[in-house]
Amino acid sequence: MATSAEQKQSVMGLEIEEKAQRDRSRAQIRKWIGNILTWLMYVAIVVVFAGPLIWVIGNSFRSSQTIWENVFPVNYLTFLPFDEFFFDNYIEALGLTPEAQGLGFNLGRSLMISLGAAVSVVTLSLIFNTGAAYFFARLKVPRKNILLVYVIATMMIPQQVVIVPLFLVVNQLGLINTFWAMVVPWYASPFIVFALIGFFAELPYELDEAAILDGANLFQVLTRVIVPNAIPGLITVSILEFQFIWNEFFWPLVAVSNKSLQPVQVAIANQFTDRDPQWGRVFAAMVLASAPIVILFIFTQRYFYRSVALSGVKG
Amino acid sequence: MATTTSNIPRVGRQRWWQKYRNQYILVGFLFVLPALINFAVFRYYPMAWAVNTSLWRYSLLRGFQEFVGIDHYIRAFTADTQFISSMKATLYYVLGKVPLTIILGLALASFANQERRGMGLMRALIFIPVVTSFVVVSIVWGMVLNRDVGLMNATLQGLGLPRMEFLTSPTNVMPTIIGISLWKDVGYSVIILVAGMRGIAQEFYDAAVVDGANAWQRFRYVTVPMLRRHLMFVSVISTLGAFQVFVPVYQLAPQQRNAQVIVYYIYQKGFIFGEMGYASALSVILLLILLFLSIFQIRVLRSEDV
Repeated sequence: MATSAEQKQSVMGLEIEEKAQRDRSRAQIRKWIGNILTWLMYVAIVVVFAGPLIWVIGNSFRSSQTIWENVFPVNYLTFLPFDEFFFDNYIEALGLTPEAQGLGFNLGRSLMISLGAAVSVVTLSLIFNTGAAYFFARLKVPRKNILLVYVIATMMIPQQVVIVPLFLVVNQLGLINTFWAMVVPWYASPFIVFALIGFFAELPYELDEAAILDGANLFQVLTRVIVPNAIPGLITVSILEFQFIWNEFFWPLVAVSNKSLQPVQVAIANQFTDRDPQWGRVFAAMVLASAPIVILFIFTQRYFYRSVALSGVKG
Repeated sequence: MATTTSNIPRVGRQRWWQKYRNQYILVGFLFVLPALINFAVFRYYPMAWAVNTSLWRYSLLRGFQEFVGIDHYIRAFTADTQFISSMKATLYYVLGKVPLTIILGLALASFANQERRGMGLMRALIFIPVVTSFVVVSIVWGMVLNRDVGLMNATLQGLGLPRMEFLTSPTNVMPTIIGISLWKDVGYSVIILVAGMRGIAQEFYDAAVVDGANAWQRFRYVTVPMLRRHLMFVSVISTLGAFQVFVPVYQLAPQQRNAQVIVYYIYQKGFIFGEMGYASALSVILLLILLFLSIFQIRVLRSEDV
């Protein structure tokens, strides 16, 4: 009797053991399937999102003829220029040869204009939006909420839509067809003010009080207390603003028709489109127009992600 | 200044405050004044001007010519078939793009939210099109989708599939443009939704597991409801943005009637044909639509105070 009971027990033990093993191997299989699916997703994302980028970068070092010869069949040679390394596309797009100059290509100038406009707007925005946000977040002024409503309501005016009358206003100011048309309308932004109010409000008010007790005036409180303590927020909004100006197209398209003043987005839309048969040159222009902002993104990803939630609709 | 400082403890902050109050408020306003002027001149005034100009026949060269009242609005809704068709194209774009943004954004976000090796790179790849300009994205996709020598048709042919007309066919052009802008913009929603998912406490998922919920049920009954505000934000932002689509149409399909969206039509009327008055009227119509949507957005976001 005792032996049968022992047997039974050992059989049960075996069953439990087997079941545990089965569960373990099932979990193993599930994990494997999970890993395979993840890798498939990785491949899909790389193909869909990086594929066109690699194609553009790789083929910007090829002549148009070679680009088209390599596009079919699709293999690694479609994307990567192992057969030739052709730098002329960049030289032409930048307008460094006499022929390219004759065709009016000068992306170097357009890049400098875009950079100038973006840096100017970021600088002005850091001054004026910071001031406005300081007023709303830190100063004890009665009934300032009325002004805050005025600021927030501005956010509901879509830029694309008021571009016709904005053109008329800027025209009246005599700024159409000048560099300043790309800068002056954007020196303050309700989105940035609103975002900075959030960043400033996180700081304890004791900081301001201590500074005032030490004899600082309002301006000194802002520059010596608030600004040094809100650097991450200020970087975030600066990146947002830089990206906005760098990529802005519709406004400079209508506001600056003078070719020698056009920023890079307008220049490529006029001179380097998919309708141009010189694809190598177009690819080079695409790389030149995006490299600054993409490189900035690669090095400051965190700030870009953080700026996402602030941006709202910018067009 | 030194005497003021030493006075503070004795007199008390309240009275020191009173004494300098007017000066303080005046200086305070100097901080905010430039921004307020900007909004007045470059945002509110243009809006008012648009409303006024829409009531006039107005051109850049000749200025205000003749008061026409609401004739422009009547014309838009009764006589201008191109306006009606541009509204239809815009709605088609909005209704195509926004739901796809939500669905794809949710799918990609729940994938990209995992902590695995290489996931940071995936998130960056999905986000790179967001930081590139729509002009570049449009031109690049114009080449990828080129009928004869494009990468896409080469790939289709390599897979034994028929070649397609993406941008040259009137029926395919709008779905193609929706696809391109989806590719460009979906990363924006992914980042917002990932941030939202990070904010959901692990306890909810643990509780769901205890209740026997599988992965899909956890997604459907924990993630989606907890992300309600983020989803609302994404859908409103992408709706407002979609109503204002301009660049891909300008760049890729300016000749295609089916793709002429409202902003492109306004641009054409105002800056190509010089009918600024009429273009202003169309702007005001679009403005009203977007204002309505914004107010709706604020209402919804307020009512959902979780």
